[in-house]
Amino acid sequence: MDPVKRRERCHGCGGVYALRPLRRGESLRCGRCGTILASFRSPMGSQASCAVALTGLVLLGLANAQPIMRFSVAGNTQSNEIITGILVLFSQGYWPVAVLVLFCALIAPFLHFLSAAYASAACALPHPLPGGHLAARLASRSQPWSLLPVFALACIVSAVKLKMIGQVEWEAGIVYIGLLAVCSLVLSRLFSPREAVRKLSERRGAEGSAA
Amino acid sequence: MNGPSPAALPGRQHLDLVRSLVVTGFLLYLPANILPVMTITITGEVEPLTVLGGVNELWGSGLPLVALIVLLASFLVPLIKLVCLAWLLALDGTARCRDRRAATLKVLHQIGSWSMVDIFLLSVLAAVGQLGMMASVVPEPGVLFFAAMLLCTLFATDLYRSEWIWLDGQSAVS
Repeated sequence: MDPVKRRERCHGCGGVYALRPLRRGESLRCGRCGTILASFRSPMGSQASCAVALTGLVLLGLANAQPIMRFSVAGNTQSNEIITGILVLFSQGYWPVAVLVLFCALIAPFLHFLSAAYASAACALPHPLPGGHLAARLASRSQPWSLLPVFALACIVSAVKLKMIGQVEWEAGIVYIGLLAVCSLVLSRLFSPREAVRKLSERRGAEGSAA
Repeated sequence: MNGPSPAALPGRQHLDLVRSLVVTGFLLYLPANILPVMTITITGEVEPLTVLGGVNELWGSGLPLVALIVLLASFLVPLIKLVCLAWLLALDGTARCRDRRAATLKVLHQIGSWSMVDIFLLSVLAAVGQLGMMASVVPEPGVLFFAAMLLCTLFATDLYRSEWIWLDGQSAVS
């Protein structure tokens, strides 16, 4: 497929634009609503986003294995992990809230990191990987529900609140949660599911014409 | 450059669902903020806390910055989201303030999820607040209304497409 003739539908206003190959630092913006239609992505970009997503997966595992904080009042101590709050909410009958926390703090981040890593790998590798499109779409759907930076903020606010009652000591888990929040924000800059779908479609088109 | 035709726009059939979610969100906003979301027990003293009660407590304890963050994320952001969504729906299908509406929707997507901070806060506090009469944190029914209201705003923002703002068959400018 000739890249000059590629057309892209603006996801901001629905207008259809012809795309052209972009140079470093360039981006194409919709003339009507200002949405960025496409921007230059370094050939190393997919590898970088794959690396960040895989780092996120490892950090997610570590963050779940370590306690976040230790709270003490008059000699009584209690520590918590991410799952502890979810289990407590379940046991107290607030399962809808527990499911919401479980989804936004664990399942959606896991799905997002995993699908972004797979879609990035599908873009970066010279040979096609099955299900690359599906992974990119899953990354797009799970991204808004992956709320690790919000969870990190909630941990800080809760520690401030608990310090009014007793003593709070941070544990290793908070470091991993902080790093996860950073990973999540960096990944949202590096990885665009829309760009990944476009890249995979172009490759499929090129392979189709070559065949 | 061609503008979208209404029939070709995906998800347009969800407009009624978005309207329903916004109305439900407004209805849930009141109980979510009137009913206590948690009860904190400190050395035998039981204190039910609403969202605003928690903000007030933080402010009174000399933590105005944290109080402001919680006030913004848990009280103002959901309200701003509901009001903005209602405004977008009221102007749907018209050509008025398109640039502002598109910018508003982008902001809603950026800020929307920060209202979840109160739900996560409860989850962390409930996890460490298991020390019986010394210090315990127990969720209250208000949190169910709060979570439902948040879900309404999150789904409504997710379903409302920015393409709908530009509907009328006019062509895009190259």
